[in-house]
Amino acid sequence: MKILVGIKRVVDYNVKVRVKADQSGVDLTNVKMSMNPFCEIAVEEAVRLKEKGIATEIVAVSIGPKTAQEQLRTAMALGADRGILVETDEPLGSLAVAKILAKVAAEEQPQILMMGKQSIDTDNNQTTQMLAALTGYAQGTFASELTVAGDKATVKREIDGGLQTVELKLPAVISADLRLNEPRYAKLPDIMKAKKKPLDTKTPADYGVDTASKVKTLKVEPPAERAAGIKVGSVEELVNKLKNEAKVV
Amino acid sequence: MYFELTPEDEAFKNEVRGFLAEALPEDIASKVRLGKHLGKEDHQRWQQILAKKGWYAANWPQDYGGPGWSVVQKHIFEEEAAAAGAPRLVSFGVNMVAPVIMQFGTQEQKDYYLPRILSGEDWWCQGYSEPGAGSDLAAVKTRAVREGDFYVVDGQKTWTTLGQYANKIFCLVRTDPQAKPQQGITFLLIDMDSPGVSIRPILTLDGEHEVNEVFFDSVRVPVANRVGEENKGWTCAKYLLTHERTGQAGVGISKAALAHLKQVAGREMKNGKPLIEDPLFRLRLAEVEIQLLAVEISTLRILAAVEGGGAPGAESSILKIKGSEIRQAISQLLRQALGANALPFLQDQIDPDFTGEYRYTDYAAAAASQYFNLRKLSIYGGSNEVQKNIIAKMILEL
Amino acid sequence: MDFNLTEEQQMLQDMLSRLVRDHYSFEKRMSHYASQEGYSTAFWQQLAEQGLTGVPIDEAYGGFGGGGVENMLLMKELGRGLCLEPVLASQIFAAGLLQQLGNKEQKEKILPLVASGELKLAAALTETNSHYSLQHVACRARQQGDTWFLSGQKSVVVGGASADLLLVSARTAGEQGDPEGISLFLVEPWAKGVTRNAYPCIDGPRACDLLLDEVMVGRGGVLGKPGQVFTTLQYQQERAAAAACAEALGSMEEAFTLTLDYLKTRQQFGQPIGKFQALQHRMADMRGELELATSMTLLAASLADHPPSDERSRKLAASRFIITRAARFIAEQAIQLHGGIGMTWEYALAHHAKRLVMLSHHLGDEDTHLQRFADLLKAS
Repeated sequence: MKILVGIKRVVDYNVKVRVKADQSGVDLTNVKMSMNPFCEIAVEEAVRLKEKGIATEIVAVSIGPKTAQEQLRTAMALGADRGILVETDEPLGSLAVAKILAKVAAEEQPQILMMGKQSIDTDNNQTTQMLAALTGYAQGTFASELTVAGDKATVKREIDGGLQTVELKLPAVISADLRLNEPRYAKLPDIMKAKKKPLDTKTPADYGVDTASKVKTLKVEPPAERAAGIKVGSVEELVNKLKNEAKVV
Repeated sequence: MYFELTPEDEAFKNEVRGFLAEALPEDIASKVRLGKHLGKEDHQRWQQILAKKGWYAANWPQDYGGPGWSVVQKHIFEEEAAAAGAPRLVSFGVNMVAPVIMQFGTQEQKDYYLPRILSGEDWWCQGYSEPGAGSDLAAVKTRAVREGDFYVVDGQKTWTTLGQYANKIFCLVRTDPQAKPQQGITFLLIDMDSPGVSIRPILTLDGEHEVNEVFFDSVRVPVANRVGEENKGWTCAKYLLTHERTGQAGVGISKAALAHLKQVAGREMKNGKPLIEDPLFRLRLAEVEIQLLAVEISTLRILAAVEGGGAPGAESSILKIKGSEIRQAISQLLRQALGANALPFLQDQIDPDFTGEYRYTDYAAAAASQYFNLRKLSIYGGSNEVQKNIIAKMILEL
Repeated sequence: MDFNLTEEQQMLQDMLSRLVRDHYSFEKRMSHYASQEGYSTAFWQQLAEQGLTGVPIDEAYGGFGGGGVENMLLMKELGRGLCLEPVLASQIFAAGLLQQLGNKEQKEKILPLVASGELKLAAALTETNSHYSLQHVACRARQQGDTWFLSGQKSVVVGGASADLLLVSARTAGEQGDPEGISLFLVEPWAKGVTRNAYPCIDGPRACDLLLDEVMVGRGGVLGKPGQVFTTLQYQQERAAAAACAEALGSMEEAFTLTLDYLKTRQQFGQPIGKFQALQHRMADMRGELELATSMTLLAASLADHPPSDERSRKLAASRFIITRAARFIAEQAIQLHGGIGMTWEYALAHHAKRLVMLSHHLGDEDTHLQRFADLLKAS
């Protein structure tokens, strides 16, 4: 069974981002970039399926600038077998990404398309759903548990106020939620091996996908500053403050 | 990760060295080494030599007659020139007003002024500081009032370096006294021989005439001499301050000064031995050399970042502080190395044209004067304290 | 000129920084400090599983064959977390000595166990009266047939408390200060005649004193040519010092960040104290020192594994000088800017400050390095 994992290069989750002076976006100069944390969970899940003998090949695919190959190498260090970089310097919208991934899927014919539920930079949470629609695959979003047996995948989904379990007939698109697993650290020998794994570079044009976006970003603003917190000395003091100052109890 | 130059840059360095060995006049290099002031003729002679080679306007884009060097090549040239004892270029024309004219000037201004800078026909000086506007540059008060096709300028500029040689001055003048300090300023180009312009020398503590006061008494300046829009002069001033700030630390100059210091310490004696063998003095030398090395590596890191598409940010403020401190420390050690022989103050022997016999030796004559003169390094171009404010604001976001 | 990391180096750094962040919170660090071993055996195990204990070891012996840059990345992240595991003492310094001086048999027997983290080493080179000099060796080894008998003392052997095998310098010829006549021996800490007195150091790691009384070492326990190891000791100490620069840099960055955050949150006189210029300037000075320290750590990393030369020694001494000075400056300023809270045991900053100041007591202080640079100063 082949698994295709989509991964995205985003600002590292530890970085405090800064909005550009002209409010056109987030300033990325000299900012540390990493793999989107939800994509890491997706990679980890694919690797675990391979370790269980269910998957036989893991292909990591990323759409982004040339530098996104760093994240593909990381995926390969974690256990992906090869990588595909669809190189573009344009920041693409979810639909364009989904269209490209659909074409890659058509070429690769994976049984499972594994994705992160959303990227921490744009927070759209829609590529998986669009991809399912475009490919006609079954979809299981917000997975917190995944079992694969035969041609079926059982996905425990995190939904508002509880869990829902669905059974999908493969091929399927599955998106990883936070609690699906805890991703491993790449081991040093695997980091060295990743260098030798194959990495193909393509362009959106190779797949005949029109990437023009219908959405225009007008303005990006930083969140309002939070006032400094305080440390209280005792439970009594806390209760007192909640009652009389915050007036919440 | 590697610190070495690429073979191409290494070849360029050799080319620069070869050129300097051949073209730099020894009499000029010797004055620079000895810490003497240079005369106008010295500066102009060296500029002409560079201009002939096409290397005078090293920072200019090729379209305007620059050599088209990379950031690293510019750095190499500056370092090598300094190490060889070439005078530091008087930057007011070629590296200060020229980039502003290129960025904000009209076609007529570009066509008129830039070739005259390149040929050395114009000598520019800077009309920024005023008695009431030093580190707080936006406090300039010199007034310019529009009268038809002219501005009428009244006021005073100060600390005008080498203004006595200049025929042009670029000025920040106030055109809107009601606006916020930064918003009512205009950038004007003024002929020094305009009626109403007068200049008075300021002697610095080393007895030298390097800086001046310039007075404007109803000076009529054509509106055509304004660069950029009225009241937008602060944009030009800021552009100038951020332009080409990789050479802030003056590593090449300090390296040359350190080499000179070592030579002197090899000749001066203490307890019957060359001073350089004195354990304490040697430690002091070692300390300053180590710091210089650290600043050099930091400069290279900034260069590499700029070459990779970044801009020299507020990090250059750090280099300005460290670089000026090191340069001052070297001049302090040079003064110290000379013992009591640093005391005699024979101004004729410091004169650039002195050809007579030195009281003691050539390298002693200007050492103490130069030490005092170099106190300016931590004051001008934004004092070191202002640099710390910049670091606090821009890097630390305090 | 290129200061960028390769893709692999970048991944190594990412992995390390996460590993430390996830597993070495300050609270955990303090419980490791208070534990029996004085460090985390579990974290050591994890370092081994990730292949990190093998970073500086040759590939031929099961390591990764990393150079100065890899060691820098490793130590910088461990420094950021104030990690207590003897990576520098064992994997970089002592293993470096073994790699350079050991014969094929010794290396094949020991290094794979070191690379896998199963065996920890420590170099016991300094003595009570040696200050930071490696040539002042009073400990003696006398030869009888194929066997050597070591007697004397070794003082403040960092990493020695947990070491499974010690590399002990002893004099086989010459007088106390001679560079000639120094030899290096492999000594098992539980061998007859060895007394090991372990204690914690004020900056965190454990160390020990060794008393050696007629300790027997066979022919297989002699490292390198007897009497001829001094220059190697010096070379490897410089190499370890380069890695120590990186460890300090990680800690400096952390102390700097903690202080900057504090200036932005602590309110006095109705505003964040970072609004006061006197404090801003101290912070700007710290930033300046950090900049130079970063540059010199990179320089040190790039030179650490170069063949021995005066130029290498000179620049490594310069690096150590700048870093030692910057470390103390940042530590002292950070405490001052924090005020009282910076003085407390319960706050991470105080422990960074101690590490940064006491760093100069490992492998040579400011004066040692300044003197070394001055000795090698080029006259023109």
